[in-house]
Amino acid sequence: MSNKEKNKSNRREFIQKGMRLSLGLSIAGVAGISALRVNADDYVWQLDPFKCVSCGRCADHCVVSPSAVKCVHAYALCGYCDLCGGYLKPNANELSTAAENQLCPTAAIKRKFVEEPYFEYEIIEDLCFGCAKCVAGCTAFGNGSLHLQVRHNLCVNCNECSIARVCPADAFERVPASQPYLIKGDFTAGDDHA
Amino acid sequence: MAIAIAVIIVRDFTVNKKGKNIENPYAYDISEYTKVDPSEILYSEIKTIPLNISTPKGITIWKDTLILVAEDFLIQLNKNGEQLGKTILSSSPTCVTTSLNGDIWVGFRNKVSVFDKDGKSIQNWTSFGDRSVITSLAVSNDFVYVADAGNRVIYKCSKDGKIISRIGEKNDDKAVPGYVIPSPYFDVALSEEGYLWAVNPGRHSFENYTADGAMRSSWTKSSVKTEGFSGCCNPSHMAIMNDNSFVTSEKGIFRMKIYDQHGEYMGVVAAPDQFDEDGLPAEVAVDENGLIYALDFNRKQIRIFQLKENG
Repeated sequence: MSNKEKNKSNRREFIQKGMRLSLGLSIAGVAGISALRVNADDYVWQLDPFKCVSCGRCADHCVVSPSAVKCVHAYALCGYCDLCGGYLKPNANELSTAAENQLCPTAAIKRKFVEEPYFEYEIIEDLCFGCAKCVAGCTAFGNGSLHLQVRHNLCVNCNECSIARVCPADAFERVPASQPYLIKGDFTAGDDHA
Repeated sequence: MAIAIAVIIVRDFTVNKKGKNIENPYAYDISEYTKVDPSEILYSEIKTIPLNISTPKGITIWKDTLILVAEDFLIQLNKNGEQLGKTILSSSPTCVTTSLNGDIWVGFRNKVSVFDKDGKSIQNWTSFGDRSVITSLAVSNDFVYVADAGNRVIYKCSKDGKIISRIGEKNDDKAVPGYVIPSPYFDVALSEEGYLWAVNPGRHSFENYTADGAMRSSWTKSSVKTEGFSGCCNPSHMAIMNDNSFVTSEKGIFRMKIYDQHGEYMGVVAAPDQFDEDGLPAEVAVDENGLIYALDFNRKQIRIFQLKENG
């Protein structure tokens, strides 16, 4: 084989290799981007209840109406108090279910007698719009068992959460979809004061 | 037109920017109840000792020594805040008290350790169990009273840690109502005569027991007004003065007050505007001279209050 033919053959191989490399890189790039997108879709918005300052913005700034943020109740943490700071107004006339004594503007908390002097509090999710008034009361006077969470059966998982944008406490974060909730625990499980 | 749109966008960006000027129409407003008539404030703050501690947990006083527990250590300070000693603890403490001879009793989540006044370890008790949350200790000549918020009971123990009896459990036959303790605030202290007093925070009550565990008396002050206790877990902390008056500290509306030996409201030691709005209620301790010491967990200070001359 003459040098001329050898050079010709090398040039052809060079072009073929270049084409294969380009194709390989393109496929790898597309696969990488797809993987990143799939990964991004595996995360959802949630708010850290320990950072939440009960500012009320979850109620008004969610694109879903009423808000996808709801009060949830950590029963393991709750003291089942008769005098519940999250259920009753601070100046309640009496410890009863009368409307004038209730703190929640939509009466979204149901109070149920358990045994003297304990009461159970249940959130009626359809009525709750995430104003966090009960959260503030429970956190101030109780042990913070009432707290807000993004409910993922309602949240549309916006790329930029409109509540996160105005959250003064930076309480919103992306969490793995496999563990979408940040629920408070039982105080007996830790040694810090509530 | 373009300028108008630009102005609207810039205004929206600056006004609605994170943390700016958005009123909370659902605000939980208790400011009305935080106001205190100045004539009710009987004490003035005379000194502040800053602490170089990230997480203080408890305070007690023995003669002229301030004894604190924090993250994982015990320290002794003089009344100028100078460190006299430091002892590393095996785990995170929850409370501290002293006996008459100066021994230091440290409560942990579910156990108790004892140190001499120089911080040398004397004994370590066995655990009270996984559910225990020890929040306060009181030591008499013969017994140690251990307040367990997790099990809602006070253990009367011998000085070597054997449980002799359980105090304060609900007993209708003896008219003992039982403790209501929604959060880990459950203080005990001994009066000058050696009687045990325990806070029943869910009932806004103070309960007094004999050494045998029989209830002698109790008093309750439940009100959102200054003279009472509000919320589910108040008072959060208490100490008993030499004259058997009670110094209290509250959560929710952070304030310190004093009640006479019969539970009658005397006045305010420190008003809500003297504390940060959020955080933990101050731990209280008293000394032989009638000074009141507040361990302010939020500011990480020991704040000393003295009765005003006209108080």
